[in-house]
Amino acid sequence: MTLFKRTVAFFILFFFMAINITFADVQRVYDEAGLLTEEEVANLEQQAAAYFEKWDTDFIIVTTESTEGKGIRQYLQDFSDKLWKEFNREEDNMAIITVDIGDRWVDLAGFGRAEKRIDNKRADHIRQELTPYLSDENYYEAFQVFMEMADEYMRTFPGVNPNSIFFNTLFQLAVSLGLAGIIVFFMAYHSGGKVTVTSTTYLDRNQSRVIRKRDRYLRKSVTRMKKPSSNSRGGGGGGGFRGGGGGVTRAGRSHSGSRGRF
Amino acid sequence: MVIHYKCPNCGSDMAFDAESGKLSCRSCGREDNIEEFSDEFIETVFEEDEAKEYECNNCGAVIVTDADTTATTCSFCGAAVVLADRVSGILAPSLVIPFTISKQEAEEAFRKWCRKGLLTPRGFMSADRIKKITGLYVPFWLYDLKNEAEVQAIGTKVRRYTRGDYIYTVTKYYDIYRDLRIDFSRVPADASEKMDDELMDKLEPYHYNELKDFKTPYLAGYIAEKYNYDAQELLPRVKEKLSKPIDDFIRSTIRGYHSVQYKEKHIRTTKTRSLYTLLPVWMVYYDYNQSEYIFAMNGQTGKVVGKPPLSKGKIAAWFGGIAAGSFMIMKIISFILTGGVF
Repeated sequence: MTLFKRTVAFFILFFFMAINITFADVQRVYDEAGLLTEEEVANLEQQAAAYFEKWDTDFIIVTTESTEGKGIRQYLQDFSDKLWKEFNREEDNMAIITVDIGDRWVDLAGFGRAEKRIDNKRADHIRQELTPYLSDENYYEAFQVFMEMADEYMRTFPGVNPNSIFFNTLFQLAVSLGLAGIIVFFMAYHSGGKVTVTSTTYLDRNQSRVIRKRDRYLRKSVTRMKKPSSNSRGGGGGGGFRGGGGGVTRAGRSHSGSRGRF
Repeated sequence: MVIHYKCPNCGSDMAFDAESGKLSCRSCGREDNIEEFSDEFIETVFEEDEAKEYECNNCGAVIVTDADTTATTCSFCGAAVVLADRVSGILAPSLVIPFTISKQEAEEAFRKWCRKGLLTPRGFMSADRIKKITGLYVPFWLYDLKNEAEVQAIGTKVRRYTRGDYIYTVTKYYDIYRDLRIDFSRVPADASEKMDDELMDKLEPYHYNELKDFKTPYLAGYIAEKYNYDAQELLPRVKEKLSKPIDDFIRSTIRGYHSVQYKEKHIRTTKTRSLYTLLPVWMVYYDYNQSEYIFAMNGQTGKVVGKPPLSKGKIAAWFGGIAAGSFMIMKIISFILTGGVF
C-alpha cells in the first residue's frame, strides 16, 4: 500500500512540476528596441526557459533605444533589480545582457551563481565574441552567442578555460598514449638492472677539495619589460573602452560584468 | 702446477664456503681459516708459456681449460683446482672479495628476482629452467686516480624587480676560476675480454670493507679468470667512466649562480695505484623458449643484471592499462572542471 501511495504522490508532484515549468513561466526577452522578429523572440525565450531548468538561472536579454540618460550600466542594474523583485526567486541567479541601440553600448552582467561562473574575464570574453555580430546588426546571432557561451561557462569550473587544449579528446588521447609509451619503455629498459653507482660512490672525500677559487664580478646588464596588465578585475575590453568589471546595484546585489561599444 | 686442497683430517677435497668464508671439507666438515693459510705457491714464478696442460693431482686426468682460466674443477673427479702459475708473478691478484652468497642463495635470489619482473613472460617468472649457475671470479682493476682540474667559467646572477609599470631584470656576470683536486679511490673496471662491460658496470657497487688480500684457497671450487687487459690499457675506459662524476664535482663547487657557462676545463688525470682484484660474480644460464639467457649476479650483494625475455602480451597490457587509466583520469578531471564537455 505504501508503495502505491508513494507512486501516486510522486506522479502528483511530477505533474505540478511540469505545470510549473510550462505555465508559470516568466518573460526573459525584453526586445524594447524591436531588433528581433517575433519568431526570434520566441526561440530565445524557449532557449532561456530551457537554460533556467538546467541552471536555475534566468538568462535575460534586454534591448532599448535609450537608457534615459542613466548610462548602460545603471540601466542594466535597475532593470535587473526590477526583474529580481518581480521573479522573487529563492536564489538570485541571473545572466543578463543589455543592448542600447541608441548609443551603441552593450553590457553583460552575472548575478549569484552566474556571478561566479561568468566572472569579469569570461564576461569580457563573451562580449568580445558577440560584438562583431552587433556591429553587423545580426542581433539574433549575437544573442545566441550570448546564450551558448553563457551556458558553456555555467557548466565550467571557475578559472578554467573550456576551450583549453587539455580538454581536447584527441590531445588527451595523445598524452595518455605517449605517457604509457614512455613508462613501458623505461620498464623494459630497466628490466635488465639499473646502474646504482652515483657520482660520489668512488669519490675520495679526504683528498678532493678546492685548492684555489675566484669569483670576480665583471659587469651587469639591465633589461626593462612592460608589465603585462593584470586581468583580475575587469580589464582589457575591445572598442577602446575598458570592460568595467562588476559592481553593486541600488538594491545591493553584487554582480560581475563587462561592457563596451559596438 | 696445480694446487689442490686436501683435507688434513679425511683426505677429501676442500673448497671455499661462501657462508662461513672458510675453506671447508664437505665430507668431515673441517673448516680452515684462509687468512692463516700458507701461500707458498704464490711465490713461485713460472714462465707464462711453461705450462700448457695441467694434470689433476687427484685422478690424474688432463684438466682441459681455457687459456684465461685460473681456477676450475676437474671434469673427471670434480676436485677444485687452482692453476698456480696463472695466479702468480705479474698475474698474481692483489685483492679479492670472496663470495658471500652461496650457490643455493644465488639460485633463490635469482628466482625472487624473476618473480619481480613486470614485463617478463609468465613461464619465465617461475624460474624453473636454470640450466647452470657458475661462481666466477672476474678480474678487475681497481684504480686510484688523482685529477687536477682547472676550470674557468662565466656565471650569471639574475635579479628581478618591479618599478611602476615595468619589470626590471638585472643580470650580473662573474668570472669564475677553480683549481680543484678530485680524487677517486678503487674505481673498478673489468679486465676480462669475455665479460660484457655494460653488464659488469651494472653489477657495481661492491662493498670494499670485505676486500681481502688474495690467497689461492678463495678460488677453490669456483671458476676464475686472469686479466686480458692490463691497467694501462683500461685507463681510458675508467677516465670515461669518471667524466660525469668529475663534472658533477666541479659543478658542486660553483654555487649560487643561475647559469654557468664553461670557458675552459682542463683536467689532468694521474693513476696513483691500480690493484688487480678478483670480484665474485654468479653467472646464471637460463633456457627459455629455445634460447639461452645469461644473467650476472653480484656474488657479494646479490644484485642481478641481464636482459630477461620480454612478453609482448604483458607489454601490451601495461601499455593499454596505463594509457586507458591516464585517459580516464583526464576525462574525469575534464568532467569535473567543465561539467561534462566531452
